[in-house]
Amino acid sequence: MPVPLVSTLIVQSLIARSLIAMVACTLALPALAASTPAVAPTLPAAPAAAAAASAAQPASAPEATLTGAGQRIYERTRPRLLQVRTLLKTQDSQSSVGSGFLIDEDAHLITNYHVVSQYALQPTRHRLVYATVDGKQGALQLLAFDVVHDLALLKPVDATPLAGRGAVELRPQNDALPRGARIFSLGNPLDVGFAVAEGNYNGPVERSFLPTLFFGGSLSGGMSGGPALDEQGRLVGVNVAARRDGEQVSFLVPADPVRALIARGRGNAPITEPAWPEITRQLMQHEANLTERFIAQPWRNAGHPIYTIPVPQETWMRCWGQGTPQATRGLQFERSDCEMDSRIFVSGPLLTGYITVRHEAYDGSRIGALRFMERYSSSFGNEFVGQDDRFRTAGQCVERSVSAAARVGNGSKAARTTTLPLKAVICLRAYKKLEGLLDMMVLVATLDGKTTGVQGRMDAHGISLASAQRLAQHYLDGFAWNPAQNTNPTSPSAKTASR
Amino acid sequence: MEPGAEHESDQPQRQDRLALIEVFERDGRMGRSASVRRWPLTLGRALDNDVVLDDPHIAAHHATLQLGGGGRLQLQVGDSINGVSVGKVHHKAGAQVPLPPEGATLQLGGVKLRLRLPQEQLAPERALPALARAHLVGPLIAGLALVLLALLDHWLSLDPGADAAAWLPMVVGLPVVLTGWCVLWALASKLFQHRFDFLGHLRIALPWLLAIELLDLVLTPLAASLGWPWLWRLVAPLQLLLAVLMLRQHLMQVLPQSGRVVTTFLVAAALAGTAISLAMTQRATDRYSRPAYMSTLPLPALNLSRPVSAPQLVQELAPLAEQLAARVKKAREDEPPEGEGSRD
Repeated sequence: MPVPLVSTLIVQSLIARSLIAMVACTLALPALAASTPAVAPTLPAAPAAAAAASAAQPASAPEATLTGAGQRIYERTRPRLLQVRTLLKTQDSQSSVGSGFLIDEDAHLITNYHVVSQYALQPTRHRLVYATVDGKQGALQLLAFDVVHDLALLKPVDATPLAGRGAVELRPQNDALPRGARIFSLGNPLDVGFAVAEGNYNGPVERSFLPTLFFGGSLSGGMSGGPALDEQGRLVGVNVAARRDGEQVSFLVPADPVRALIARGRGNAPITEPAWPEITRQLMQHEANLTERFIAQPWRNAGHPIYTIPVPQETWMRCWGQGTPQATRGLQFERSDCEMDSRIFVSGPLLTGYITVRHEAYDGSRIGALRFMERYSSSFGNEFVGQDDRFRTAGQCVERSVSAAARVGNGSKAARTTTLPLKAVICLRAYKKLEGLLDMMVLVATLDGKTTGVQGRMDAHGISLASAQRLAQHYLDGFAWNPAQNTNPTSPSAKTASR
Repeated sequence: MEPGAEHESDQPQRQDRLALIEVFERDGRMGRSASVRRWPLTLGRALDNDVVLDDPHIAAHHATLQLGGGGRLQLQVGDSINGVSVGKVHHKAGAQVPLPPEGATLQLGGVKLRLRLPQEQLAPERALPALARAHLVGPLIAGLALVLLALLDHWLSLDPGADAAAWLPMVVGLPVVLTGWCVLWALASKLFQHRFDFLGHLRIALPWLLAIELLDLVLTPLAASLGWPWLWRLVAPLQLLLAVLMLRQHLMQVLPQSGRVVTTFLVAAALAGTAISLAMTQRATDRYSRPAYMSTLPLPALNLSRPVSAPQLVQELAPLAEQLAARVKKAREDEPPEGEGSRD
């Protein structure tokens, strides 16, 4: 089972903070959640320079065997390829570096939002600068961004040095690229120099909430925002992230959101104020969409003999299971962790806009009721609620004993209306800069069993109060008796067996 | 020896004794006493005094006790820099102070004296600690109960069939800690009372520790059963209160004369500690209790809380969000005017 490997997903954004430090972000995943046990990633994280170097290596290997197509594409795209730097206003040292490309004759250019996020959030402290392959430099303005898809639209203050360089053409919407097609990713990895990385197009990333393309090639820090082109030099996607626990597993933002951002942002006035309100607006749209789609999906059943436990569909979530060894003398449990791949990068330490659901089913038949309650309680107690930090307030909770709504199946016998007693805790944290957005944690424990019980936790990050209420209700509604178990003693076993 | 004051060993005639002067050592114990058989009585460092006090802060002729008008005893402060304190009132050189008929405490320089007069009210006799064996039964029962509770607690935390060695920390640890605690207090008693009062302190510690344990044992599950998080949150402060009361009793055993000082000190320390801890908790969590929610779950058979429906609970999120919004507003007001927050 690939569990340990995959449960430590580290998706890293492709900007180089410096040559060494790389930022974990954008589509980043479970390793960042406190719940997941951290297993050592395949690449050593400590000597980051070594990791970065080894990550950069495969990119140069294909270059040696580069065909005429690669050379042709590089030659054609070279004038339109840029490096995008974020500098501190007061000094010339760069605080982040990414790539970008021209998309029209007016020298508008596209890069990732995360490449320019420092400027977007603190425009008075930073400035943006481009550098071309032939060494020209100039100041940039931020016109618009799409924080959800991690894109930004920029324009040079003075367009003349970039005029007449042509534009990277977007591959038409209706022209689907076949899986396995050769594509070329361009950018300036680790600020080493402009490079072409050849790889394969592997279609959309499966079970991803946000449309993301799977690029079978190497992307390194600093290539973020660079274009990934087909053999005709048309844009397939924008370099955005890579997994550091695998080989050549990289990600692109597809061309559609790029098209939409260009359409809506081209005429905008430059952004000079901190962009928190606009980020909030975009995240609000995202969370409404996410909540709507999440609630539209029915819960899956965990297959527990006594309880119905809400487990999300795996259409855009991934669930990993884990259990205690059979020989354990103490409390036995099985856990399930479901998480979304897609997380939205707002700033270095702040990722939001995702949901995780997990539960633990406990069996204390080997330790007796008193010991079970002691361990069951302490397990309920060791959940992290969150303290006051730069971005969020401390978590505040409401707690109640709740009787789960009786789930009446196809029959309506009186016996089946008995409700399942639950203890439910709902905690909220408010974002300090993203006004109106909340993080919610719903914690549920069943209270009926002497030596059995289930504890569930759902976390929703970056949602509105209305969505929080709907999601909490949805989650609480997911807990009930297993109808198969609750009818009469003979039929349930048959039903569970058939499951 | 002057005729006015005689040492007890001189076979006094009791009926002659007008008063008794007790001279205290620095540690508060009485060093010597002198019977007074006639007034006036002089006190000072010079050899011609009735009571010679050898202290550098005392004048040659520091004070005189004499009968004033109406037969009332009074104190005449002599030619002294430091003067005399009667009780807590200080008197300078040359002062003439009437003394209460039931006696008084005098401070001359560095020496503390007690003047005992026939009209004094005697405190009732106190039983010797050694004669109070009967009072050991209660603490013994408390001790047994405490050990049983600790065993139960440890049993709960072990998985069935656990290795016998897993009991060692409990079986060895508890007596060692308890003994250590009482030994430390007994040493303090030795220092101030010149008595290694191990049993006395054990008798104090056991019932209080039992009470602290019982409080947790009873209130925590009770709060879980009734669904009263406020009661659950109250357990730790109540335990702290009991611990402070236990400390007070230990201290009183060591310093029985300084009741008010001990109480004041403990109240001040407890208040300061509580305030600091509350402030730290509030800073980190915006609450005054560290745990965000009641984590103890009730036994199924004892679950007496009145459940609400899920929509009712969900309704409670709106006021919570409002409260958070106010908090966010406050955080914004607190931050620098540029308002761009993060410093990467």
